[in-house]
Amino acid sequence: MAFEATDRHELRAKLEEYAQTGDKGLRDEIVASQLGLAEYLARRFKNRGEPIEDLIQVALLGLLKAVERFDPGRGLEFSTFATPTIVGELKRHFRDKGWAVRVPRRVQELHLRMGTVVNNLSQELGRSPTIPEIAQRAEVSVDEVLEAMEAGRAYRFSSIDAPAGDDDDRAPSPAAAQLGEDDTGLEEVEQRMLLSPLIASLPKREQMIIHLRFFRGMTQSEIAARLGISQMHVSRLLARSLTQLRDRAGAEAAPS
Amino acid sequence: MVGEGREQEERPEGLDTGGDVRLTVPAAPEYLRLVRLTAAGLASRLGFTFDEVEDLRIAVDELCFHLLGDVDDELTGEPRRMALVYSAGPDSITITGRTGATGDAPEPSDLSEQILDALVDEHEVSSIDGMITFRLKKQREP
Repeated sequence: MAFEATDRHELRAKLEEYAQTGDKGLRDEIVASQLGLAEYLARRFKNRGEPIEDLIQVALLGLLKAVERFDPGRGLEFSTFATPTIVGELKRHFRDKGWAVRVPRRVQELHLRMGTVVNNLSQELGRSPTIPEIAQRAEVSVDEVLEAMEAGRAYRFSSIDAPAGDDDDRAPSPAAAQLGEDDTGLEEVEQRMLLSPLIASLPKREQMIIHLRFFRGMTQSEIAARLGISQMHVSRLLARSLTQLRDRAGAEAAPS
Repeated sequence: MVGEGREQEERPEGLDTGGDVRLTVPAAPEYLRLVRLTAAGLASRLGFTFDEVEDLRIAVDELCFHLLGDVDDELTGEPRRMALVYSAGPDSITITGRTGATGDAPEPSDLSEQILDALVDEHEVSSIDGMITFRLKKQREP
């Protein structure tokens, strides 16, 4: 990202002025002049399953932070300072969201929001809500709810030690911490492993969910209440476990 | 169980009263999204709850995925297509379909069997006239 000397001087003058005045119009002007840098960095992260326009949004956020935090007194070139900030933002985006396939941002947002909506409605109604009820509460269309349900499958596999999904109404904590320690169900789970050694390869909480859903016949809402996580999270973990089981079954035994 | 207002505008006439929905897609796992979405869409119209819709989606996916595994093994010049019929009853959905594969009905794995038992009321895979055919039915809670 080479700039003409005059551009560089102009940029530096604006940054210095912004550092003193905090003028929002000026800040926007600086951001606009550096769009190329944000886009350039965003494109380095394409082909990872995220739409480029979303990546550019994230990069812009990084750029904005860089403008806010830049200290002209330190004598660094702005681009030298901004690049790691923007790249950091992009990396964090992938780490936090963990979306493996292209899911539009609005669908992701709805998916995450639906966790709360479904939980609240389930409590109010004393039963699992219908899709139109969810749509009405979330103020979106039925189709959007259905799409958001599908989006749960797009979640990238993550370690059980990774932070739990942010759809839960609680501070993010490692998923492992949410496992009931002395849950007797786990013993039964282990016995059931005889049926499918593959299940044993899943994280403990997912083994538990598989067990409760498929072997004990509990509903997703019941499992959510029991494990203290949102129903959307149960849904997502179930989808993920099943995909993992398939992948492993496929790897271990050639299909008939 | 359905709300007022909102779905009035989204509900074309005639679908609620048992009209069949037909879907034909290439017999490949990447098209299962459409298979699931169609199931979920129809189930939501019938007032299935979130839990029930989830169950149906997982079940149809589970069943089709395993059947598609067999399709991949048969190398023919023609890309195979999977055909499904979604039938809406007053409070149930029945999905029948063919993957385009022929021969004897494959044995489902124990786990797959267990999963389907937990999710839907009826499910079966059979070979009808040499065509592998599946069927599953999910009832709505009254």
